[in-house]
Amino acid sequence: MSNALSTQDLVPGDHGTDEPPRASSWLKYTAMKAGGALISLIMVVLLGFFAFRILPGDPVRSLADGRRVSVEQMDILREQLGLNDPLLAQFWRYLTELFQGQLGYSYTYNEPVVNLIATRIGPTVLLTGTAAIISVVLGLWLGQRAAWRRGSLFDKTQTGLALVFWSVPTFWLGLLLLLLFGGGLQWFPTGGLVTAGTTETGLPLIWDVIRHMTLPVITMVAVVYAQYLMVMRASLLEEMTSDYLMTARAKGLREDEVRTKHAVPNALLPTVTLIFLTLGGLVGGAVTVETVFSWPGLGYLTFQALSAPDFPLLQGTFVVFSSIVILMNFFADLLYRVLDPRLRAA
Amino acid sequence: MTSTRTSTQTGERKIPLARKIGALLTAAAIGLVPGGLVIPAASATETGTESGTTLKLPLTGDIDSLNPFIAILATSTNILGLQYEGLVGYSAENNEVIPEMAESWETSEDGITWTFTFAEDRVWSDGEPLTANDAAWTFQAIQENDALKQANGSLLENVASVEATDDYTLVLTLNEAQAPNPGSVLPVVPEHVWSEVEDPATFENASDAVGSGPFTVVDYNPTSGVTMKANPNYWQGEAKIDGVTYVPYRNGDAAVQALLTGEIDMINGLTPAQFQALEQEENITTNSGAGRRYQAMNINSGTKDVDGNDMGNGNPALQDVELRKAIVMAIDSNTLLERVLEGLGTPATGEIPAVYPLYHWDTEELPYAYDPEESNRILDEAGYEMGDDGVRLDLEGNPLELRLMGRNSDPTHQQMADFIIPWLAEIGISVTSEMKAPAQVNDDSILGNYDMYFTGWGIGPDPDFQMSINQCSSRPNADGTGATNESNWCSPEFDAIYAAQHTELDQERRSELVVDAQKLIYDAAVNNVLYYADALEAYRSDRFEPFVTQPTEGGVILGQNGPWGIYSATPVSSVDAEGATATTNPAAVILPIVGVLLVGGLVAFFLVKRRRSTADERE
Repeated sequence: MSNALSTQDLVPGDHGTDEPPRASSWLKYTAMKAGGALISLIMVVLLGFFAFRILPGDPVRSLADGRRVSVEQMDILREQLGLNDPLLAQFWRYLTELFQGQLGYSYTYNEPVVNLIATRIGPTVLLTGTAAIISVVLGLWLGQRAAWRRGSLFDKTQTGLALVFWSVPTFWLGLLLLLLFGGGLQWFPTGGLVTAGTTETGLPLIWDVIRHMTLPVITMVAVVYAQYLMVMRASLLEEMTSDYLMTARAKGLREDEVRTKHAVPNALLPTVTLIFLTLGGLVGGAVTVETVFSWPGLGYLTFQALSAPDFPLLQGTFVVFSSIVILMNFFADLLYRVLDPRLRAA
Repeated sequence: MTSTRTSTQTGERKIPLARKIGALLTAAAIGLVPGGLVIPAASATETGTESGTTLKLPLTGDIDSLNPFIAILATSTNILGLQYEGLVGYSAENNEVIPEMAESWETSEDGITWTFTFAEDRVWSDGEPLTANDAAWTFQAIQENDALKQANGSLLENVASVEATDDYTLVLTLNEAQAPNPGSVLPVVPEHVWSEVEDPATFENASDAVGSGPFTVVDYNPTSGVTMKANPNYWQGEAKIDGVTYVPYRNGDAAVQALLTGEIDMINGLTPAQFQALEQEENITTNSGAGRRYQAMNINSGTKDVDGNDMGNGNPALQDVELRKAIVMAIDSNTLLERVLEGLGTPATGEIPAVYPLYHWDTEELPYAYDPEESNRILDEAGYEMGDDGVRLDLEGNPLELRLMGRNSDPTHQQMADFIIPWLAEIGISVTSEMKAPAQVNDDSILGNYDMYFTGWGIGPDPDFQMSINQCSSRPNADGTGATNESNWCSPEFDAIYAAQHTELDQERRSELVVDAQKLIYDAAVNNVLYYADALEAYRSDRFEPFVTQPTEGGVILGQNGPWGIYSATPVSSVDAEGATATTNPAAVILPIVGVLLVGGLVAFFLVKRRRSTADERE
């Protein structure tokens, strides 16, 4: 389907503007990738509705769990939540709302899902964004250093350390840091985004946020930076035997310049794709960290939605998380093409 | 918003960055550290003065709404319980019904007409007069609007009419007589606020709320929690603290750490291990309060739907009451209490815990107390022959193999199963345990898809509801919808006792009936109550004097029926700035700075490198 669309789109462009064939192939490539992303999104939307209906548990009973709730009250709730309607009617409502940019009404929070996600996506982006930047920079930097001096003590300790952190359960590491630096040494607050009930603004507020962010960011970075380190190391190692490095050295360039100007840019190619692929996953990984550090983000919201089960909220967070992953993959595809001239020519 | 600010901060540091990281780090450190030191010092003194007068509690659950007509989750109703009052409440001493919003009440001979008298000088937190009209408006709003029935609709099902005959008299007319006070629990809202609201069902009520309880909500948002302030007009006198702040905490271990750092002042819902660790701490007082929850192992005596048709896949052998009795006698619940709960609980009798002396079945001599020998004898006598492999055969000749279901979210369930399985093996019953997701356990227990499972209920001060879910009419429809039955069991004899207590206005007589009802459940051996777990709490005794507990002897501070525990919060006379010293700890300042510098440094390093390389290329 996406193929047919893209060729039709391309035909007038090719003749009308007389562009060189390279541009049209670029357009075709983009359209193909966009089509693929679109199909994935549609699948997500469908899956998001039906997959969660398999979850055990009646949302109304979960809400009423352990409480004095009469049968009449439960019926009222079921009616209000639209759970009495046939599944297909509920699906139709979900679809029509989705096209209007609505994601339904959360059972648990009595609020539109869109609002819930909007108030919580900021903290999640702040947390995962910071952690992503730090772990990418740290991973790539250590990775190329390690590769350049492979077999050295630096290489061995850095890869070893990274892999140890990589294999540590996030929940455990988070709690450990919390016990050590929160309750034990009392260097950092034990949870949240800001001090509760704070009236600070401006710099003191930023400072407050930084103090609250430190432990969760360290936890996230520690657990994920190894993958960037390892990929960077591996791809740089592949480049290191290349002839062009010999040429560069023959030109009399310093070893540092050979590495940073010639070897690293080529080694970055597979790494960039990986970075974008993992960025989406990183947001998903926030669930654990957010739960340990009481971070008011999307991850914890998802966790709560699962236990109800709060179908609209689950669908909403699922669609958002999946869209992020799909978008990131799409960007990775595009970026790869921009970065790699060989693909551009093809 | 905050993210952009943080990035500008790193961006500012980008400018002085020179070539070498070392130089860069020192430069940035010089630029940042003094500012960094000043800021937390200032904020620390501020929180230092605040912390003496604000009680900080962990917000561990979800807030579904702060609208009292809508809110059903425990966290929300606890907060609203500080802000609103019912017509009557429950005493801190022993959970007896006491006057709250209404000064007094009378019940007609036939139990149909309840007349509540209001005091003449009461006002809401905003100073407006509080009258019987507010209560009438609240009750009528629920009766007239289905959307407002979500939270408390069931409380008014038996109420035929509500009328404020004058400003200080409210008359409730019931459809049929009932013993539970119809004016309890239901929060009364101020008419002058709520009648002005366009749609009370969607009114968030999450900021600057007006109430008559000891505290009112100033503000709620999911990031910074709930702030409440003391109601200056509270009829029992303004609280001794300025307010209450609920600090969001998503897991218990983090909240325990927060108590140690002083980020919160009190905590509840501790595990025995956490509780014992906190007992060792200076400045912290622990409280093991008698809980109002029972823990039981339910036995499937043959689930039937409301029409009397069989449901579920329970082992039919369990329909024999002798076998169920033998199982109960093989379980040593005192050992479970000692080993699983570290003794932090009370041995159980019936379903109503000891904190409700009015309805608790107080006995030392339980008919089916732990006695494995007697248990074996009963099984021998009833014809359950022992097989060669040590597993008895049921009356059909099949080996007695049973499933024991629990929640994977509650570690005590697996622990209890680990004790119970060998105990039942001793009497020749083979048991496998299956721990499942809570929602799955809910489904399976309603549909009767279990042999035995761990269950528990938090019991309110009036036992009517708990008993009502044992009636034959309280059985589910065949598809699991409709009513829920506590033990998937029912008997006409029980129904008769339930009905009698439901309308019995004489307290003494009603108490006897409720105890009789519990004995019937016990005799049927369908819901083996194992223990009443203590509610484990701890608070900062360097900041607060001991709190009022409910009941007064060995009771709980948080999770009371009423606001008494939190209302009683009294700061210790000389509040030192304990929390402030924690925040000014130099390492706390330096470490984030180093972190920020590292990030900034790395970013800058790459930028510099990059700029240099592009410059090189230009050459």
